[in-house]
Amino acid sequence: MNRQRRRFLRAAAAGGIAYAFGRTPGTVYAQMAGGGGYSDYKALVCLFLFGGNDSWNMLVPTSTAEFNAYYASRGGGTASSLAIERSALLPVDPLTPDPTGATYGLHPSMAGLRSLFDTGRAAFVANVGPLIRPTTKQQYQTAASTGHPLPPQLFSHNDQQDQWHSLRGREILKSGWGGRVADVLNSQLGGQQLPVNVSLAGQTFFQAGNVATPYVMGATGANTFAGFGTTGVAAERRAAFEAVAGASYGTIYERGFASVQRRAVQFADTVNTALGAARSFTALPDSGVQLSPLQTQLRTVAKLIDVRARLSMSRQIFFVSTGGFDSHDNQNDDQPGLLGNVSASMASFYAALQEIGMENSVTLFTQSDFGRTLTSNGDGSDHAWGGVQVVVGGAVRGREIYGRYPLLATNGPDDVGGGRIIPTTSADQYAATLARWFGVSDANLTQVAPSIDNFSQRDLGFMIG
Amino acid sequence: MRGARIRQSWRTLATLGLAAVLTACGGGSGGSGSGGGTGITPPPPPPPPVSKAEAYRFLNQATMGATEAEAQRLIGLGDSSNAYARWIDAELARPASTLLPYVEAAYATLSTQPNFNLAQLNAPRLEKWFENALRGDDQLRQRVAFALSQIMVVSQVGALQNLPFATADFYDMLARNAFGNFRDLLEDVTLHPAMGVYLSMLGNQKAVAGTNLRPDENYARELMQLFSIGLVELNADGTVRVDAQGQPIATYDQAIIEGFARVFTGWKWDCASTQPNCSFNTVRPQLAPVPGYNQIRPMRFYPEQHETGAKQLLRYSGVALPNGVLAATATPTAQDLDAALDNIFNHPNVGPFIAKQLIQKLVTSNPSTAYVQRVAARFNDDGSGRRGSLAAVIRAILLDGEARSAPSGANAGKLKEPLLRLTQFWRAYDARSASGRYGVQAGNFPGGVSNIFGQGPGQSPSVFNFFSPSYAPPGEIANANLVAPELQLATEFLNTQITNFFWTQAIARTTAQTNLGPDIMFIDTRAEQAVVADSAALLDRVAERLLGGASQLSATLRSEARAQIDRTPAGTAAGNNTRVADAIYFVVTSPEFALQR
Repeated sequence: MNRQRRRFLRAAAAGGIAYAFGRTPGTVYAQMAGGGGYSDYKALVCLFLFGGNDSWNMLVPTSTAEFNAYYASRGGGTASSLAIERSALLPVDPLTPDPTGATYGLHPSMAGLRSLFDTGRAAFVANVGPLIRPTTKQQYQTAASTGHPLPPQLFSHNDQQDQWHSLRGREILKSGWGGRVADVLNSQLGGQQLPVNVSLAGQTFFQAGNVATPYVMGATGANTFAGFGTTGVAAERRAAFEAVAGASYGTIYERGFASVQRRAVQFADTVNTALGAARSFTALPDSGVQLSPLQTQLRTVAKLIDVRARLSMSRQIFFVSTGGFDSHDNQNDDQPGLLGNVSASMASFYAALQEIGMENSVTLFTQSDFGRTLTSNGDGSDHAWGGVQVVVGGAVRGREIYGRYPLLATNGPDDVGGGRIIPTTSADQYAATLARWFGVSDANLTQVAPSIDNFSQRDLGFMIG
Repeated sequence: MRGARIRQSWRTLATLGLAAVLTACGGGSGGSGSGGGTGITPPPPPPPPVSKAEAYRFLNQATMGATEAEAQRLIGLGDSSNAYARWIDAELARPASTLLPYVEAAYATLSTQPNFNLAQLNAPRLEKWFENALRGDDQLRQRVAFALSQIMVVSQVGALQNLPFATADFYDMLARNAFGNFRDLLEDVTLHPAMGVYLSMLGNQKAVAGTNLRPDENYARELMQLFSIGLVELNADGTVRVDAQGQPIATYDQAIIEGFARVFTGWKWDCASTQPNCSFNTVRPQLAPVPGYNQIRPMRFYPEQHETGAKQLLRYSGVALPNGVLAATATPTAQDLDAALDNIFNHPNVGPFIAKQLIQKLVTSNPSTAYVQRVAARFNDDGSGRRGSLAAVIRAILLDGEARSAPSGANAGKLKEPLLRLTQFWRAYDARSASGRYGVQAGNFPGGVSNIFGQGPGQSPSVFNFFSPSYAPPGEIANANLVAPELQLATEFLNTQITNFFWTQAIARTTAQTNLGPDIMFIDTRAEQAVVADSAALLDRVAERLLGGASQLSATLRSEARAQIDRTPAGTAAGNNTRVADAIYFVVTSPEFALQR
C-alpha cells in the first residue's frame, strides 16, 4: 500500500500533472477517463439571501388599488413608513398580464434585474414559501385543532432556512434538496472530477445529500497547501498528510474532520489548476473594479463553468450567498444597497455567462429565510412567511410573474396577522420545477421535493425544456 | 458565610460523586468483593493521582487550552478524588480579566491620529481577548464566558461596528456573570446596549393605533429561541417532548412573541451627564469613553414609549402569572421587564436547554440524557434551594462522571472549536510577540482571524453563532442521529486555511527565527530544538505539549510524522528548523489534536 502510494506520487511528480488520490473509494481515478454523464451541461446556482428578504419591497404592485393597499399596510406617509413611493418604482411589463389587471414595479435599486426581466432572461415567482399542503387562512388559524399540517417554527430564521434548504415539512430530514438532486443523478455522473454540489459560501444544509457530499471552496477558489510540493520532502509531506487523514479513527469527530482534510487535499490542485486556465470576464473582471463579495463568488462560479470540460463536469449545483437581509432596523437605509447588490450581481453574472456562451445552460435562483411583515416596528420589518423569488437565465421562460401575487393588505385574505402572508406556491413546487429542468425525472421528483404530490401543479412552468 | 457553606457542601457532593464514578470504572483494584474469608475488609486503596493525560483532558474542557505547567499544578492539588474540585473552587473565586479598559486605552492613543474611526477599536478588543485567553489567570471564567458569548451572541459584524466599547463591555459582562445567577445574566444581557442595538430592542416603540406601527419582535424571539428555552418543550433530560401525533410541542406561539415584544418597549440609551433632560426621542449614544458614558450602561426605561396593556407571556405548569398573562397596568412600568424575565427564567426548559448547550461547549457534543439531567437538576436547585446558579452548573458539568471517567465510545468528546485549537496551541507553546502585543492585524491573521479560523471573538455572522448546536454533517453522524456542531466550520476551505496557518507558525514563527515583525506571534520551540536530532524524542516532546503524553499519539501519526521528520537531515539550522516544523505541524493538524477527548 505504502509503496504503491509512493510510486503514484513519483509518477505524478514526474509528469507534473495535478494528481489527486486518497484512500477514499474514489471518484477520482474513475474520472480520469473523462466525460460527465450527460452530453449537455447544466448548472443551478442557488443564491441565498440570508436574513429574510423583504421582497414585498422588491416587486411592488403599481396599479392603483393594489398599490394603495400596499402603501397603507407599509405605513406610507407616516414616520414608520416602509413603503416605496410609486413614482420611484421601475415598471415591469410581463408578457402575460395579471388577470386582475394589476401591474408591478421593481425596487428602484434594481435596474439590472429589470433589464434581465424585460429581455426575457428573468422571471419572478410570487408568494412562494414553505408549505406542506395548500393552506388557507382558515386552515392556518384552526390548524391546532384540525391537524392541518404546517411547517413547524414558522417565522424562525434557522428553521425556515432549513425548510428552504431541505423541504422537510414536518419530517426529520438529513439532507437538502440540492444534495438529493445529486443523489438522484449521481449514477449518471460517474466521470465528474468534483462533486455535483460546490459551495462558495460555507457549509450549507441545501447541498448535503444522503449519499453525495458537497465540496466547500473559498470565494476565489481553493487554497493550496503551503507546506506541500510536487517533489522531494514537500511532496512526501503531502503524502504523509494524506496518510494521516486517511487513517481510521475511533471517534465520529475525528472521522468527520479527517474526511474533510482528505477532500481538501484531494480537490485543491484539481480546482486551482482548472481555475488557472479560466478566462477573465469583462463583466466580472479580475482586477480594476471593486466587486462585491457576492460578485466575487459568482465570478468564480463563472470561471468554473468556463473550465467545465477540464473537470469533466456536466451537472453542477453551486451555492452562493449574501446576507444582511434581516432588516428589523434601518430598512429604508439598508435595502437599496442590499437589493442593488443582488441586481447588479445577477446582471454581471448573466453577462459573464454570455461571454462564454453559457447563458442558456445556467439558471440562478434565489431563496431566502422568509418574507417579512408588511407592518413596521418603527424602522424595520419582522419575520413572516411568503415572499417573491427571482429566477435568472437563458433557459428561464422569462418576463413573467409566476404564482399569484397577493393583495398586500393587513388583515387581508392571505394575512395571518401583522402582514404575514401565507404562501400560495410552495417551495417544493419551486424546487421541483428547477430540478426537472436539471434532469430529475418525474418519478424521482418526490425524492427531491417530498410534499410535491400535495400540490396539483408539479411544474410551475418557468423553465424552458 | 452562606456562600462558603454552600461551596463546602458542594465539594462534598462532588467528591462523593466522583469517587463513585472512579470506583465504578476504575478497574480491578476496587477490593469491594467478598474478602478471602478473613472477615476483615481491607481499607480502600487511596484514590489514584491525576495522570497528565487526564489533566489535559480536564484542562481542555475547563480552560482556553491545556499546558504542561497547568497540568502539573492541577496534579499537585491532590488526587483524582479532589484535585479537580479544588482547582475549580480556586477558579470560581478569581475575578474576571477584562477587555474594556484596554479598548479605552487604545482609544486614547488612536483617536489622536488622522483618519481615526471607531471601528478600528475592534482590533484592540481582539488583542486583549487573546491576551486574556493566553495569559489570563481566570481561565475557567474565560472559557465559560467564551461559551456564553456563543449562546448570547452579539457581533461587531453589523450595527455594532462603530460601538466598540459596548461590544467589549458586553463580553466583560458575560465574564462577570459566568459564575453568577442565570436570572441576573438574563437581565444584564437584556438591558445591555450592545444587545439592545444588535437585536433592536434599543429604541423599540409602542404601537400607534390607526397606523402600521407595532413593537419590534426581534429580541423577544431570539431571547427565547436562542438564549433561554428554545423552540420546543424539553423533558428534564433535554429530550424533546412530543404530542399525541409525535410532533414536538412548541414552547411559544406568535401571540407570545408579540406579548414579549410589547414588554420590551420603551428602553433606550441611558441619559448621559451631557444630556440632562434627554427623552426617548432625543437620547443618543456617547461614542467616546468619558466617565459613566452610556454606551456601557444598561438601557434606561422611558415610560412614554412603553406598552401598558395586558401581555400574553409563556404558559407552563406552575407558571406564576395567571395563565401566563401579565396584567395591564394603569401607568407604564419597568416592572414588566422583571416579570417577563422571571416568566422565562422559571420555564422548565431553561435548565436542560442551558445545561446541554454548556455541556456541548465544554465537554461533549453528544452527552447522555442522564448527564444533561444531572446538570439540569443542579440548575434547578444548586443544593441550597436556589435556581439558576451557574457556578453549580459549571461544577456539575466538569465533575460529572461522564466528563471525568475515561472517555469511551465513538461519540465521547467533541471537535475543538477552531479558535480553541489556536489558543490551546499558543498556550502550549507559550506564544508571544516581541512587542508583547497580541497582534491581530499585523501579519498574524491575513484578512482577519475569522477569515482564517472561521471564528473570531465577537465576530459571529449572525445571532445564530458560527455553528449550530444541532449541526449534523451528512453521513455517519447524521444517520446515527448524533451531532457535531464544530464540524459545521470544518469545511475544506477553512481547514486548509487553518492547516496553512499552522504550517507558517511552525516553519517560520518560532524562537529559532530572528527578525520577525514586532507584533508577530512566535512559539517557543527551544525544547524541541534541544532534541531535534532524535525524531522519536522530538515527536514525543510535541505530543507531551499538545496531547498531554507521548502515548496519546496514534501509531499512524507517529510513524508518518517520524518518517517525514527524518526525510530532512538534522545538523543545519534550516534542517533542524524543518524537522521541528514537521513534528509540530503533523500533530497540530491531526484529527487527534482536533478532537477534544
